[in-house]
Amino acid sequence: MIDYTHFPIYLLLVLLISAVIIPLVNKRYNRNARGMIVGAMGIALLLAVITLIQVYLHGSFVYNFGSWASNVGIQFVIDDFSALMTFVIVLLSLLIIIYSIRDVEHEIHPKQLLGYYCLVFLLVFSMIGITLTNDLFNLYVFMEILSLTSCGIISIKRNKENLLASFRYLMLGTIGSISVLLGIALIYMVTGQLNMTEIFYSIDVAWELYPRNLLLSLGFIIVGFGIKAAIFPLHSWLPDAHSNAPSPSSALLSGLVVKVYIFAIIKVLFRTMNENIIIDAIGLNEYLLYFAAVGMIMGSVFAIGQKDIKRMLAYSSVAQLGYIFLGVGLATTEGLSAAFFHVISHALMKSALFLSAGAIIYKTEKRKIKDLAGIGYEMPITLIVFSIAALGMIGIPGISGFMTKWYLALAVLEAGRPLFLVVILLSSFLNAIYYLPIIVSAFLKPREDGSEEMTRDGIPRSMTMPMLIIAGLTLLLGIFPQVVMNIIERAVPTFL
Amino acid sequence: MNDLIVQTITRLLVPFIQLYGVFIVINGHLSPGGGFAGGAILGASIVLYTLAFGLEKGNEKMPHKVSSKLEAGGILFFVTIGLIATFFGYNLLTNKEMGMPMGTLGNVLSGGIIPLITIAIGMKVASTIATLFHTMIEE
Amino acid sequence: MMNFVIENINFIGAIILFAIGLYTVLTHPNLIKKIIGINIMETSVFLFFVSIGYIAGGRAPIITEGLAIGSYVNPLPSAMILTGIVVAVSITAYALSIIVKIHEAYGTLELDEIMKMRGGEND
Repeated sequence: MIDYTHFPIYLLLVLLISAVIIPLVNKRYNRNARGMIVGAMGIALLLAVITLIQVYLHGSFVYNFGSWASNVGIQFVIDDFSALMTFVIVLLSLLIIIYSIRDVEHEIHPKQLLGYYCLVFLLVFSMIGITLTNDLFNLYVFMEILSLTSCGIISIKRNKENLLASFRYLMLGTIGSISVLLGIALIYMVTGQLNMTEIFYSIDVAWELYPRNLLLSLGFIIVGFGIKAAIFPLHSWLPDAHSNAPSPSSALLSGLVVKVYIFAIIKVLFRTMNENIIIDAIGLNEYLLYFAAVGMIMGSVFAIGQKDIKRMLAYSSVAQLGYIFLGVGLATTEGLSAAFFHVISHALMKSALFLSAGAIIYKTEKRKIKDLAGIGYEMPITLIVFSIAALGMIGIPGISGFMTKWYLALAVLEAGRPLFLVVILLSSFLNAIYYLPIIVSAFLKPREDGSEEMTRDGIPRSMTMPMLIIAGLTLLLGIFPQVVMNIIERAVPTFL
Repeated sequence: MNDLIVQTITRLLVPFIQLYGVFIVINGHLSPGGGFAGGAILGASIVLYTLAFGLEKGNEKMPHKVSSKLEAGGILFFVTIGLIATFFGYNLLTNKEMGMPMGTLGNVLSGGIIPLITIAIGMKVASTIATLFHTMIEE
Repeated sequence: MMNFVIENINFIGAIILFAIGLYTVLTHPNLIKKIIGINIMETSVFLFFVSIGYIAGGRAPIITEGLAIGSYVNPLPSAMILTGIVVAVSITAYALSIIVKIHEAYGTLELDEIMKMRGGEND
């Protein structure tokens, strides 16, 4: 039989090879190029599905590069949640790429389209690398590739605001990466290992001898990853960068890239250090909880006053990331499960929102919210997708957003902190204030030219299909959350 | 620039710089250096040539097609060497357990796949530096 | 006190350079100075990392025939910093190319003048 343990590596290599070959073989962005791009992503999806089924049936496995022993070489650990997250990343990337095939012709200069897809493939390659790796310095290298390519897909559209937003993202992101490298150096100085499970075995001895080193390194790592994952006071680059980018780039960035950094924080915190250090000695999760709560409310407060639709969606991302940090900060099994579930469901909902906003801009060139009155009659399918995702953000039952608030509320009550339940409800109410007016004015107000007929969307089918599939997945997760929660609940005890 | 002294000295020096770069790349497993440093020196020699003689002559020596194919070739070479091990059942990039010829200590032809990988990295870094410089000067 | 400074001079130097770099990135309005600040920060972290592996009285970590195996300096941090330097070079190259485009679009490289030009466009 074919040896399935190599399949994650084949997945990475397919993405890397197609990133290099596709701009070389095709001279122009014609049908051949489009077919090869979608074909390469399709092969990647097939490999990811097979890996997920393999891990679900047979348990997690370990892959050593070069067959070196585990404390000498680089190691990949493929356990339940890593396989699930890889599958979600590849699936969402495939749907966003299918959407973007017709959309980018309007936004980017034709000579740079092949370069754009090279950057997107490298972006997905580095995200899967961060998810799977077990080595600290390997994590840093993949993080740098991700940082450079995500700045690249913002600045490929040569507007004035894009360039400045991308420059600010690059500067702040590099400060974050340097802090992470300093934190890794401090850990390496004390334990002498770079493999995360090996560090776990020797961390107790190190904590007795050198507590200040570990304290400093934790501080630097959390600040560094926090700048890139947009924890509340460090989020100032996010609205400019996510709102000015082309629509498929915004969907990729806001839906996938920030989540991967949160998953990297969870891996470094919980796989290298054990609970005594984090909870009892430092009390780190208290700080995360308070910053998360403030971020949830302030993100929504800023979003209420926005006039441009993509900027409002970007501020809403800041608020939703606060939910995930609330779950991480509780540091209990239910809290982490709720955080993981929200990672997946927010990726789906935010991608649907950004893709439908992009479709509206593609057809009508309108970005201000007050111009969107009555647009539901002009583009019904797009607005149905937008409404489903927005209702999920508010927390209406039946959509996966409600299930994450439910799990999060249960986790908060079980940890014995009812104050945060009030914060969750307040934040849901604030979400409703800025999402509901759009849905209401789109469907219930008359159109600007006064006509009241419903027309079909005038956008190509390759753009409506992915939006409908993502909306369908959101509904599916809302009605049957057990499909994903089973895998998550098997994965969380390996962290704590 | 069109200075006569700079152009003459450049024409005399570039072969030695490239020879030194190739030396560092090939001796990557025996002495300090390796792919990155050797590739940077090779790239720097092309940058020096372009600075002294102007962009058109620089583009003749290293046209865009050649450098883009060298870049892709470097990555594909690396991946192919790594994949050889998977065909025999071991993990990616396996060196000694697979039975690659190790050679004697201190020889140039020793160490299994390490010299080949160093050459791939050197190729890629050199062509990247040349491409970056030519692209930025064209603006 | 002086003994403490002399023994840990590499760590203290790295932290001072890190602080200087961070201050330069955050406060200077010129965009090129921000890139220089990032380079100073990266240099400080590389200095810190490489100086961890040093063993007093050790030799360079290369096996040569004829010499007995003594104590070697740790080669792993040097290999990691090589990769880090390449990353720093690519970030600098990318940032400089964005600056060329910003100069074409706005005509200036000072951040406060750019923000004044953008002031009327945002909400």
